[in-house]
Amino acid sequence: MELREFLAEDAIQLDLKGESKDEILKELIGLLGVDEKSQGILFKMLKRRENLGSTGIGRGIAIPHCRSLVVNRLRLAFGRKKGGVDYKAIDDQTVNYFFLIVAPPLEVSNQYLPVLGRIAQFAKEADVPERLSALETPRAFLALLEEKGV
Amino acid sequence: MMNQNLETLLEIQDLKAQRRDLAEAGEREVQEQVFGLSVDDAVRELDTKITEMEESLAPQIRARYKRVSARLPRVVAPVINGTCYGCFVAVPTASASDSERNAEIRSCENCGRFLYYVD
Repeated sequence: MELREFLAEDAIQLDLKGESKDEILKELIGLLGVDEKSQGILFKMLKRRENLGSTGIGRGIAIPHCRSLVVNRLRLAFGRKKGGVDYKAIDDQTVNYFFLIVAPPLEVSNQYLPVLGRIAQFAKEADVPERLSALETPRAFLALLEEKGV
Repeated sequence: MMNQNLETLLEIQDLKAQRRDLAEAGEREVQEQVFGLSVDDAVRELDTKITEMEESLAPQIRARYKRVSARLPRVVAPVINGTCYGCFVAVPTASASDSERNAEIRSCENCGRFLYYVD
């Protein structure tokens, strides 16, 4: 299993416009291409998860995630916000890089947790924030995932 | 427009999925180690929210919800390509247009689950 299996190029946005946590979450959800009502439900679920504790894991990276019936397969999106936003991250630093994971409540192959683990592993690599900062195209992001073997 | 009760049912089910995940060892470990989440606190918070949302359902829907949830762990099933993904039996084609299929509460005639039409 590789992360890029779940990630279309049009679900990668290297210039997010949002200026707040909520705006960024909505923009990321928008990358999934689901209908407006489903977007609203996903936003509520992601907010509920964030209310339990921020998914900002430090070093400028956040992994918002949830399960919801409004998607019928696991979906990923990636976004980058230059300058970052206040995300109440674990290290109190602003967040620039966002990996969104959305999965249905039940999956035949149960990929949700492994995908979450792989992104967390990728995020821990020392050079990753710098490499993400230097990306110029969505394709370069996919190449970085491939290079890192995730 | 989505039916408000259906939206609440969906949210309850999604919260229950979240709660179920947190109760599993692998997920607990990731949530604690990667996100620094206090899983026990999170589970308590989710339980409170789930109860609150169950109580907000209209009485008739709540009664049906309780009946279905007493025998099935998931009370809402997605309908994908005309099939109930709770029991995998074909459901009659909804007469409403795509955008209105979730405007009223529908149940699977075979398993009784509430139906949510996924595009």
